[in-house]
Amino acid sequence: MAELNLVNVTKVYDKDVLAVDKFNLEIRDKEFLVLVGPSGCGKSTALRMIAGLEEITSGELYINGKLMNDVAPKDRDIAMVFQNYALYPHMDVFNNMAFGLKLRKFKKDEIKRRVDNAAQILGLEGFLDRKPKALSGGQRQRVALGRAIVRDAQVFLMDEPLSNLDAKLRVQMRAEIQKLHQRLQTTTIYVTHDQTEAMTMATRLVVMRDGVIQQVGEPKEVYDYPNNMFVGGFIGSPAMNFLNGRIEENNFVMNGVKLRIPEGKLKPLREQGYVGKEVVMGVRPEDIHDEPVFIDSSPETKFEAVIEVAELMGAETILYSTIGDQEFVARVDSRTDVTGGEKITLAFDLNKAHFFDKDTEMRIK
Amino acid sequence: MIGKLKNIFPSLRFYAPDKDIYDDKYQWFLTDEQEIIGIANDELSTKELSLLKTFLTPYNIKFPPPNPNEKKWIEMIKDEKIHYPIPGHYRFVYFSLRYSDIDPIPFKEAIQELFPKDVPIIWENEYEGVMIEIQENDQEPVTYEQIIDVLMSDLYGKIYFYVGPFQDNVDHVRDYYFSMIKGAKTALQYSTKSVMTYTESVPFLLIDQLDADVKTNIAEFILQDFMNDKETLKMIETFVECNLNISETAKELYMHRNSLQYRLDRFQKKTGIDIRQFHEAMTVYLAVIAHKK
Repeated sequence: MAELNLVNVTKVYDKDVLAVDKFNLEIRDKEFLVLVGPSGCGKSTALRMIAGLEEITSGELYINGKLMNDVAPKDRDIAMVFQNYALYPHMDVFNNMAFGLKLRKFKKDEIKRRVDNAAQILGLEGFLDRKPKALSGGQRQRVALGRAIVRDAQVFLMDEPLSNLDAKLRVQMRAEIQKLHQRLQTTTIYVTHDQTEAMTMATRLVVMRDGVIQQVGEPKEVYDYPNNMFVGGFIGSPAMNFLNGRIEENNFVMNGVKLRIPEGKLKPLREQGYVGKEVVMGVRPEDIHDEPVFIDSSPETKFEAVIEVAELMGAETILYSTIGDQEFVARVDSRTDVTGGEKITLAFDLNKAHFFDKDTEMRIK
Repeated sequence: MIGKLKNIFPSLRFYAPDKDIYDDKYQWFLTDEQEIIGIANDELSTKELSLLKTFLTPYNIKFPPPNPNEKKWIEMIKDEKIHYPIPGHYRFVYFSLRYSDIDPIPFKEAIQELFPKDVPIIWENEYEGVMIEIQENDQEPVTYEQIIDVLMSDLYGKIYFYVGPFQDNVDHVRDYYFSMIKGAKTALQYSTKSVMTYTESVPFLLIDQLDADVKTNIAEFILQDFMNDKETLKMIETFVECNLNISETAKELYMHRNSLQYRLDRFQKKTGIDIRQFHEAMTVYLAVIAHKK
């Protein structure tokens, strides 16, 4: 059982390098919270402040209501899993998992009980006498998880634990960590720069940039309703398309292209005085359609485009093209037989588009 | 000497690793022969303690006592005329546990488990020291970026490593030792990285030698209007660290490569310096370091 509360937590290095700025967040018991953002956004620093590996410059960290700022890392009842799943090379799997407990002077039978339990959870029972070099990458990462599980801690902190694995193994381990969380129900804070990992694993996401929280929410909520252009662009792959244009009456107009804005989307633009002004329209690649049925039913958002590149991904095809001299990417069904250089008709689903203020980059809502 | 001291202080005894861990009833000292002796606190007046400190080195019992191998290295470092044979290449690795709550004994236990053979550790004080990694035959050198994570997850604390270059002989071991300690302390002022090699730190060591005025001049003349533009300074550092590779830097900074190109062009337009050229990039990088302190 662990609830964490971060109040105005700030980290400043060398007096003037602001790594994390006024981080406010309540982390619920049993939650799988993912901190996501590009390199240098402060996500690992935030995690390390929770772990006690970085001092908190200002603000407060509470675990279960108890102020933790000055509590030593070893007394915070946390377990950590890092990016490098390096293990002690000369110890077998059992001793690798047991070592942290031995250092903390746990009794032998308690160590054995905990290691056996973790090995059973992770399917490592048959590997306990093996040395790390006799294990695959995935098995080593499981041992690294086992080293955290044996602590029986109330919070797991994971800092990019899968980023050193190859793509296939990463997908597999992603599912294993989720299963582990479902089974143990330990409050988990997970850091990643990989938005796919964040989307698929999180109960809630925290998107960060330059040390500042940009948005907190459930993955679907963040994907469907990004607070700003950064979140819209960072979450989702291929990234959201951003098209510059102007609101004229009921339309979004760019370089010779006029798209009719649905009433529901137009209302906030009108109410907040954006008619006649420059805005940025954000459209997800999957909200640009090539199906004739959709195009026929959306005559006011259809347009013609010359496809520069068509990438067949298997179930889908990614199309690269331009509209009004601005580049965009569309994700269509791979049954579409399009090749580079071909001119085709597409249509935007503007019910799912977003409009952003050009200066503040905030979503107009 | 020990016998005479024993007559004055009957409680005097030698350190017993299995019994004396964290025993604070004794005052501990390290003799010139690298032996650890303890005298009961209640047998020592303040005056006697001060007197003993003039010819014995006070010793923190939380330190693991030096083993015979460590004693040899300490002797070589203390006296450059003493040379013992070493079984292969060696390198000094400075470590600091300064901002953590890690005790030396578990730290040593964990370090020993990472290497196939004994790793001598020389403690400077209770939070920093130098470990000696000896590489024999074709043995792969340890990657400290990897082991730091496993150590931190077991020891619950922040650790810094400053990794020296491999050496073949012990002729200049004393100089090597002290330059590592000095270099580590300098480098740690300029970087927050947990692991840094001596090679990586050379630009920091060079810049640190300069007078404050010279540093200011370099930063001002080279960086000009970008002196306080943190985003551009970060971009320059990342660009150099990514081997002037635009795609890699753009990815690292989560920026479109065209935006990065634009920023590099803008820097060139305003300063006349093209960071895409190695020698110019190096100059700008040094200016960024000079600006840091």
